[in-house]
Amino acid sequence: MLGNEAIARGAIEAGVGVVAAYPGTPSSELTQALVDAAKDIDMYVEWSVNEKVAFEVALAASMCGIRAMAVMKHVGVNVAHDPLMTASYMGAKGGLVLVSADDPGMWSSQNEQDNRYIGIQGYIPVLEPSSAQEAKDMMADAFKLSEKFEHMFMLRSVTRISHARSDVVLGKIAATKRKGHFEKDPSRWVCLPANDRKNRRLMIGRLSRIKKAVNSLPYNQLTLVEGAKQGIIACGISYTYVLEALRWLGLDDKLPLLKIGTPYPMPEELTKKFIESVPELLVVEELEPIVENQVKVIAKDADIHVRIHGKNLVPLIGELSTRRVVEAVSKFVGARPPLNFTELDRLGEETEPLVPSRPPTLCPGCPHRATFYAINVACRHYKRDFKIEPVRPGDIGCYTLGYNPPLNSDDMAICMGGAFGIGNGLSHVIDAPVVAHLGDSTFFHSGIPPMINAVYNKANITMVVMDNSATAQTGFQPHPGTGSTAQGAPAPKLKPENIARACEVEFVEVIDPFEVKKTIDTIERALRFDGPAVVVCRRICRVLEQREWKRRRKTTAPYRIDLDKCNDCRLCITALGCPAITLEDSNVAIDISQCNGCGVCAEICPVDAIIQVRSGWRENNC
Amino acid sequence: MRTTVEQLNIIICGVGGQGVVLMSELLGHAAVLDKLSIRGSEVLGMAQRGGSVVSNIRIGSEFHAPLVPEGRCDIMVALEPSEALRNVKYLSESSLVILNTRKIIPFTVFIDKSTYPELEIVIKKLNEVADSVIAIDASQIAEETGSLLSTNVVMLGALFGIGRIPVDVETMKAVIRKSLPARTIVANTKAFDIGYATVNSLLESQTGYLVSRQGIEP
Repeated sequence: MLGNEAIARGAIEAGVGVVAAYPGTPSSELTQALVDAAKDIDMYVEWSVNEKVAFEVALAASMCGIRAMAVMKHVGVNVAHDPLMTASYMGAKGGLVLVSADDPGMWSSQNEQDNRYIGIQGYIPVLEPSSAQEAKDMMADAFKLSEKFEHMFMLRSVTRISHARSDVVLGKIAATKRKGHFEKDPSRWVCLPANDRKNRRLMIGRLSRIKKAVNSLPYNQLTLVEGAKQGIIACGISYTYVLEALRWLGLDDKLPLLKIGTPYPMPEELTKKFIESVPELLVVEELEPIVENQVKVIAKDADIHVRIHGKNLVPLIGELSTRRVVEAVSKFVGARPPLNFTELDRLGEETEPLVPSRPPTLCPGCPHRATFYAINVACRHYKRDFKIEPVRPGDIGCYTLGYNPPLNSDDMAICMGGAFGIGNGLSHVIDAPVVAHLGDSTFFHSGIPPMINAVYNKANITMVVMDNSATAQTGFQPHPGTGSTAQGAPAPKLKPENIARACEVEFVEVIDPFEVKKTIDTIERALRFDGPAVVVCRRICRVLEQREWKRRRKTTAPYRIDLDKCNDCRLCITALGCPAITLEDSNVAIDISQCNGCGVCAEICPVDAIIQVRSGWRENNC
Repeated sequence: MRTTVEQLNIIICGVGGQGVVLMSELLGHAAVLDKLSIRGSEVLGMAQRGGSVVSNIRIGSEFHAPLVPEGRCDIMVALEPSEALRNVKYLSESSLVILNTRKIIPFTVFIDKSTYPELEIVIKKLNEVADSVIAIDASQIAEETGSLLSTNVVMLGALFGIGRIPVDVETMKAVIRKSLPARTIVANTKAFDIGYATVNSLLESQTGYLVSRQGIEP
């Protein structure tokens, strides 16, 4: 079972009633598992428009006595940060749990922020599992703890929990169908200064009760070894690396261990017992020294003399691993590493130049590739005519892959919706025109306020919405533009162009990016337009389209190169970077097993050397 | 849980779209049915396809973490030659590598941003580090049984063909039958069987593409 599925199972076992989420790696499968389960279990699951709304949906359900959870990736929690920082003042009624899926190592994120800090900042107790099994158990318990202490909890997962697989022992599913009921209690639910001065005192009181209770939770475990001179404290997934490192070094059962499952609040009593038992200890945790710093404070306050190691031996950057931990533990105990890692690294360095770089790419037939090509050509034309190169802010989604050569589509990218926001700022300080792009799901998530800002503050920018009718990057979750909800109910199909027009954007055009020349022309006109412009490049994600073809037993003919016509200019390779276009014996060739007949290469070929194998069909779905 | 089986660290690597993740899911599912303790995790980049994919599978009750430590891989299944080389740091002198010889050349090579090594160099390099390398054209086998898409199933068969996987072959085949699309069952079962037989006979006869420390045996 995938860690995310285990967490979903834990929620079901606890009788979760409301789930709200915005997709984001590594959190997405968790909600998807609950969407699938909602067919059989009476619960409400939604893909919210963004994480802030998702958290508010869950918070409201909790106010009404329903067990509720909000699910998001670590940077998504930033979007929900505003209500999150005040939610603990209110306290929970129905169990309320935020699942934050952090991404140490930045496998698919723009940073590796450690959301345990957000727990500390918002007085939100943090449960951190060491395995999929524990993640399931913790998730179920989180609801019970939340109700027992009338306080929200956070379950902090990481990529190596959410995206790990293991056997999981399942528990019983609770039959706790509840009916939501809102009881008015303005001094609790209305966060005004006068109310929150009182609520803050109550919150701190709840936290101190939780702080005592965590000492006896099964997720914090103390194993003492009599007479030991050194010990290890490990938090979350790091605990598994420590167990393996100790075994590898032949030290299992020789060192006392404190396993931390609640990095906030820390189990102070257990920690004191542990640090009193050894003169020197090592704290092993991924990313920030959160447990380490708290252990130092506990030792200082209790006046216990102990040498505390942590980030001086354990890497601060990136995901931990058995290797990285065994190296840290070897140094700590003064043993030789069990393997010659220097030799291993040398082998890696020696091999690296032999291995071709294989960055992830946009799929064959991806409409984003055509849009990027058009933007790039339009920018080149603009530079030719006005001697100034447009700047192209990018955003978060499949299209971030356009950053890689040969499309090189982004001049900057920071966060969801950031392309339009950054574009606003650029327009006031540079002479170059700005063409910013983001996807349809991102547009609904956080692209609309900066678009309104551009109209209001007269930012002369071109805003391209790359509308492929899906949240494709994270697994095709539906959104307000797709016409259906998470649970499959039909919904109105919101159109970015209508929203743009309603916001009084004067230049709004919709184009099928596979009509390459028209798209180039439209973007060129938008660049020359005086005032904010919106261009919606609409074409369904090719993966979804192919699924639909499969269902209808339809195919489209691939293309091939007519070598008699081909002049070997290689524009199709150097300007598009389509995985289906390859070289065979130094000639350009099309891999028909990959080509799905989008025809974009044929359209850009200057000598018409790319032709369809047999007459195919194509539909304009604009 | 069965606790007496061999502890196995397996790395499955390949290119996005080759079915590396599906292959690990199938194996994991079969291992759970056979009451084996199993852990694993995938390492993949941002894309749906096209990038490098590494799947870690660890069978045995002594494992805690989801990732195979570097230098401790027992069996590597590489669906693409250069991907085996990319993950060479996982190998040790006792490792066995099963290699699909069909190259998937990334476009970075066509725009002269990188180069692709000769197959012989890949095998030689792997062989310097690992105990033995079994090279088969699994993609060819897959094409002959029906579809290139079955390459991962051929390689799964090949993995079982070495005779060290503590999962019952029949359990594995039942999972394949149950999990894959009905119309592909015949082809996929055949793909598994041929992958299994190819490696099994290579090991028995010590001929063919088997490359051991003693060098290439034609």
